[in-house]
Amino acid sequence: MKMTWSQGTHPPAGGRSGTHWIFNPYVLLAFRLLLAAIFIYAAVQKIGRPNAFAEEIRNYGVVDYGPPLYVMAVVLPWIELLCGFSLVTGVGVRGAALILLGLNALFLAVIAKRTAGYVSDGTPFMKVYFDCGCGFGAIYAWKKLLEDAAYLIMALALLAAPRHRFAVPIRRRSS
Amino acid sequence: MKILRSAVFQAIAIVAVSAAGGFAFNSFARNGINPFRAVAKVPVADEGTKVGADGIRIIDLAEARRIVESGGTVIDARRKIEYDGGHIPGAILFDYYDMGAYRDRVLPRLSNEGEIMVYCSETACDDSELLAKELYLLGFTKLLVFKGGFAEWSGSGLPVEKGDL
Repeated sequence: MKMTWSQGTHPPAGGRSGTHWIFNPYVLLAFRLLLAAIFIYAAVQKIGRPNAFAEEIRNYGVVDYGPPLYVMAVVLPWIELLCGFSLVTGVGVRGAALILLGLNALFLAVIAKRTAGYVSDGTPFMKVYFDCGCGFGAIYAWKKLLEDAAYLIMALALLAAPRHRFAVPIRRRSS
Repeated sequence: MKILRSAVFQAIAIVAVSAAGGFAFNSFARNGINPFRAVAKVPVADEGTKVGADGIRIIDLAEARRIVESGGTVIDARRKIEYDGGHIPGAILFDYYDMGAYRDRVLPRLSNEGEIMVYCSETACDDSELLAKELYLLGFTKLLVFKGGFAEWSGSGLPVEKGDL
């Protein structure tokens, strides 16, 4: 008997029946490459200038001078770089996605806090403009918030995806 | 749950490798910093405070002019490209964001006997203050920060020097 698609023989776009389009292997690959390009670029802008990056972090008013600030300035760009490489090579994609999810959530919160500070000082929300220290120069806060929200969704999709097709599977040895 | 556990395991590995790479690179990098250095409280006095107080004192254009005209030590905390475009006569370039490149060349020229004036672009920039704090931590205690910076100096029609020193 010849079966039709409506009978369920044709896999949906996601590659597995019942999966959302966001988990389509090509969509996931696009997310990985996009996030990797952004975070590798951002990391390269910060590596080798820890003093400047420490000042940029301090501008958010969350961490003051001291070892936690300097350790962040030294290590954070390398975390971004390695996450980027993980996403490109497909080694440890979920780990990189989890880190980027955390970093972006944190980043979204501090940018929102800083923006709220400008707004409470009388600057209209749409006019708030500053250098977020992300390695891309000054930008409108609303654009940065939208951008980060998009990165957050991409990282979440990479973390929650049932499987990654263009990745190196890492399995812990079962005892 | 299994996915999350594997993600946490991978994330820990990425953070560990990044930390090792970051610290290793930092220890060899020209601009490397000591991330565990003690942070000393640097006394910063406002404009108008009497001369002689140890620490960092904010000064105005008149005092900056007095220091330059008396041949005092002046440090430019801006980038090289800005310095080359014009600086206060006699100023020594010491880019705050590239301290490693200038440290060996500049520090031997500084003395704790006289005052050291530091400036950057304009009132809004704080690189002069940040560099002064670094110099304070290195043992220089008679530090003056000219907050008006190069913008106020050149805007007042005072002489400007161009090119590398």
